[in-house]
Amino acid sequence: MLSVLLIVIASIFFTGIIIRTKSLASGRKGPGIMQPVLDVIRLFRKGVVYSETTSFVFQIAPTIYFASVIMAMLVVPFGQSRGVLSFNGDFIFFAYVLALGKFFSIIAAMDTGSSFEGMGASREALYSMFAEPAFFILMGSLALLSGHTSFQEIFAALHIGSQISYALAALATFVLLMIAMIESSRMPIDDPKTHLELTMIHEVMILDNSGFDLGLIFTAGYLKFAIYGALIVNLFIGVIPYQYAIPSFFAIQFVMAVAIGLIESFMARFRMSHNPQFIVALTSVSLLIFFGVLLILQKFM
Amino acid sequence: MMEMVNVSWIVTLLAIFVLFFVPSGFKAYTAAFVILVNSLITSWLAFPALSGQVVELSIFAGTFMGDIAIRIDGLAAWFILIINFTSLTGVFYGIGYLKAYTNPAPKLTLHWSLFILFHLSMVWVCMLQNGFAFLLAWELMSLTSMLLVIFDHNKAQTLKAGINYLVQMHISVVFLTIGFIWVYSSTGSFSFEAIRSFFQSNNNIWLFLVFFVGFGLKAGFIPLHSWLPHAHPAAPSHISGVMSGVIVKLGIYGIFRIITFLNSDYIILGEIILSLSVLTGIYGILNASVHRDFKRMLAYCTIENIGIIGIGIGIGLIGIGNGSPVMYYLGFGGALLHVLNHSLFKSLLFYSAGSVYQQCHTRDMEQLGGLIKSMPKTAAIFLVGAVAIGGLPPFNGFVSEFIIYIGLIEGIHSNNLSQILLFVLSLAGLSVIGGLSVLTFTKTFGVIFLGQPRTALHHKPREVSKLMLVPQYIIIVLMLSVAFIPHFYMQIIGNALMQMSPLFADMNTIVEYANMIQGISLYSLLLIGIAATVWILRSIVMKQRIQRTAATWGCGYVAPNSHQQYTGKSFSKPLGKILNFLLIERKHFEELNPGEIFPEKRSYVSHYHDFFERNLIDPLISRLNYSANYFSFIQNGRVQSYVIYGIVFILAMFILTVFNIVS
Repeated sequence: MLSVLLIVIASIFFTGIIIRTKSLASGRKGPGIMQPVLDVIRLFRKGVVYSETTSFVFQIAPTIYFASVIMAMLVVPFGQSRGVLSFNGDFIFFAYVLALGKFFSIIAAMDTGSSFEGMGASREALYSMFAEPAFFILMGSLALLSGHTSFQEIFAALHIGSQISYALAALATFVLLMIAMIESSRMPIDDPKTHLELTMIHEVMILDNSGFDLGLIFTAGYLKFAIYGALIVNLFIGVIPYQYAIPSFFAIQFVMAVAIGLIESFMARFRMSHNPQFIVALTSVSLLIFFGVLLILQKFM
Repeated sequence: MMEMVNVSWIVTLLAIFVLFFVPSGFKAYTAAFVILVNSLITSWLAFPALSGQVVELSIFAGTFMGDIAIRIDGLAAWFILIINFTSLTGVFYGIGYLKAYTNPAPKLTLHWSLFILFHLSMVWVCMLQNGFAFLLAWELMSLTSMLLVIFDHNKAQTLKAGINYLVQMHISVVFLTIGFIWVYSSTGSFSFEAIRSFFQSNNNIWLFLVFFVGFGLKAGFIPLHSWLPHAHPAAPSHISGVMSGVIVKLGIYGIFRIITFLNSDYIILGEIILSLSVLTGIYGILNASVHRDFKRMLAYCTIENIGIIGIGIGIGLIGIGNGSPVMYYLGFGGALLHVLNHSLFKSLLFYSAGSVYQQCHTRDMEQLGGLIKSMPKTAAIFLVGAVAIGGLPPFNGFVSEFIIYIGLIEGIHSNNLSQILLFVLSLAGLSVIGGLSVLTFTKTFGVIFLGQPRTALHHKPREVSKLMLVPQYIIIVLMLSVAFIPHFYMQIIGNALMQMSPLFADMNTIVEYANMIQGISLYSLLLIGIAATVWILRSIVMKQRIQRTAATWGCGYVAPNSHQQYTGKSFSKPLGKILNFLLIERKHFEELNPGEIFPEKRSYVSHYHDFFERNLIDPLISRLNYSANYFSFIQNGRVQSYVIYGIVFILAMFILTVFNIVS
């Protein structure tokens, strides 16, 4: 339960912090930290416009997307406290339930019959497919290292002892952060602030969404960020007591948001054709973690 | 018991006789009735086996073959029930499907008699426990299904696909025959028990691999898969549904059956099957993602699912080798559950694809679009099938894939470095398969059903008849039952697995996993609950809001037309480009000449080719053809020469007998 509460709180500020960081980095004052949440609240109050081409798929998709993110949130643990749901192989459920949401957001984009949205849908499907093995090899290695198969048990059993395991935690953070960027369609894979529909991925898929549905999609996006942030936090906090764990949760989420803001301020988006290479490279980082785990466990003997 | 078996084949023969005299409108109903009777009889035979009671019978088949053992254990019963269910939905769907076409009565008679025989032969394949009789049933199954495939025999493409299938199935029979004769030559018996004694006293690997090639051809493991993408699109949809749903699974049944007799070398065989299966899965779904013929796409997707089933089998074998009941249960259990699941959603997808074909007369998805408006029920059915086959919660595909995943993770905890590597890579492979199937099915569903119609069709498509929809609804109900009470099915599979290997009679260690599988269904329910809550909330809010409709946002362009929609080809093009060493694309077009200022009308065609067919099978066949040409003088078309061959043969036999060289 604790994890859900923390993730929801973090998600309220997360995107605001990113935007604020970007504003400050570019010399502007920028909107308040609560602005994204206020935007969503206003969207919930607005009417909607549906495209004539769309069908019921377009209407149910945002709901299912949102539900899938909520469901994924429920399995994320926090240190020694389990997620609302915790079972062997819950990380598989986590990945697949997010895939369900993606499935529906892709077909909703295709439902509009717009060539731009189809293009975004195609890219979203391709990139998330390439990111999949990185996540599974990472979780598989951690399962091997800890001897457990559920999020909570894996994270609780991670011992940050030797130098090599620090290196592993750093690599794992990198992998999870990048997966978070791919899943939430941020730089360097996708630039949400690009001005041209041709170069967008996620933003172009939701061109035709409006009102309540768009609010749901935004909320799900904010939650997704905080969920991946929580996973990264879990890599480090292990079983330390709550009075230290909860502040460090917010500290790490804050650092992550600032880092994303800085990356987006000082980096250009990759060329579309280079994205798959970058994402596949992520899989090799995961493999590096795997070999590191084999080293720690001395399986090479 | 034995009477029931006799009743079934007598009913079949009678029915074929009766079919000749029934008016063409009722032939299909007669066939459906007979298949229903046969299914009831064989299911009644199979039911006791589900709870662990093995049914043993024997049938006397003349002095040459002697007594043939019929044995229905849990494994056979599981497959028999799947066969019966899919054949039944297939025949009822087929009634409606064929109604839309006018076919001459003799053609229908042949078609429905073959269907009845086809169904019964598949059931026999699962029951017979004698190599010789098994091969007969197997051959009957292959022949009838081949004749069912070439229903539209006036199309050259269909005939070619049929002959391709026929030839490949006979290569499979050759391997199976070699296997059975190998056992016979060493033990002197064709019965299946002889295989067990063979394995006890000989090396396990080679004989198993011979059988694996034979059965793998049927199942469609790479590189033995090349008949599937030809035969499935060519067959009428109710046949492709049954073929992809069940006949391919009989290859899996055969592999399982041989595994029950294995005695050693589990680990190496498991590793071979596991690696091959991961590659099969990835290769199948990669090809599925780029093809524009949606039935061919489904055929490739069958190959992918065979890969997933094979991964389960591999885990199970390694589990036996490691002495791990958990891996044995999760691997084989996941594989068997996926056999059921795949037979359900794949037949569902083929039926709904058939409905689309019946209304639109094309298998090219690039010509379609926007069908969700004119065929909403078919669209919803296809969507359910697509989500389920992608292995996404809350449908049944997720349950079996999840079990296989857990099996893989269980394997990671083993002590052997090579196994750990294999399992981690398989884990990554299975996740790639999952991601690719999301890509494939969003593309297919999106292009066929969503957006706007891409071309003007000859007839305006309409929703298909109830007769075609009801079998599909029934399949969906069964799919949901697997999704929400998987422990019931896993209980049955557990019984079958216990019979397969008495080594694992103690199932206490797996109780924890049985509970976990039950948990999955609860979590899926929770997911549905959350989605429903959000939906209700949304409906309440939306009531107070203004809702308008307008044109799709064209990014400033105000005259979009349906040709500007994203096509399926462009949807999967980035993937095809990245993996162009595997997905071979051939384009035919004329380039613009340097001085051509006003280009004339020209055409552009591009096709994806099967890597293995192009680089392995076609060269092999052309070499074979080349060398076979040297022997063409024997088959020269002159009757006189053929008579001489006969005389030479008779003389040879006479002389050899006289001189006691053969007896």
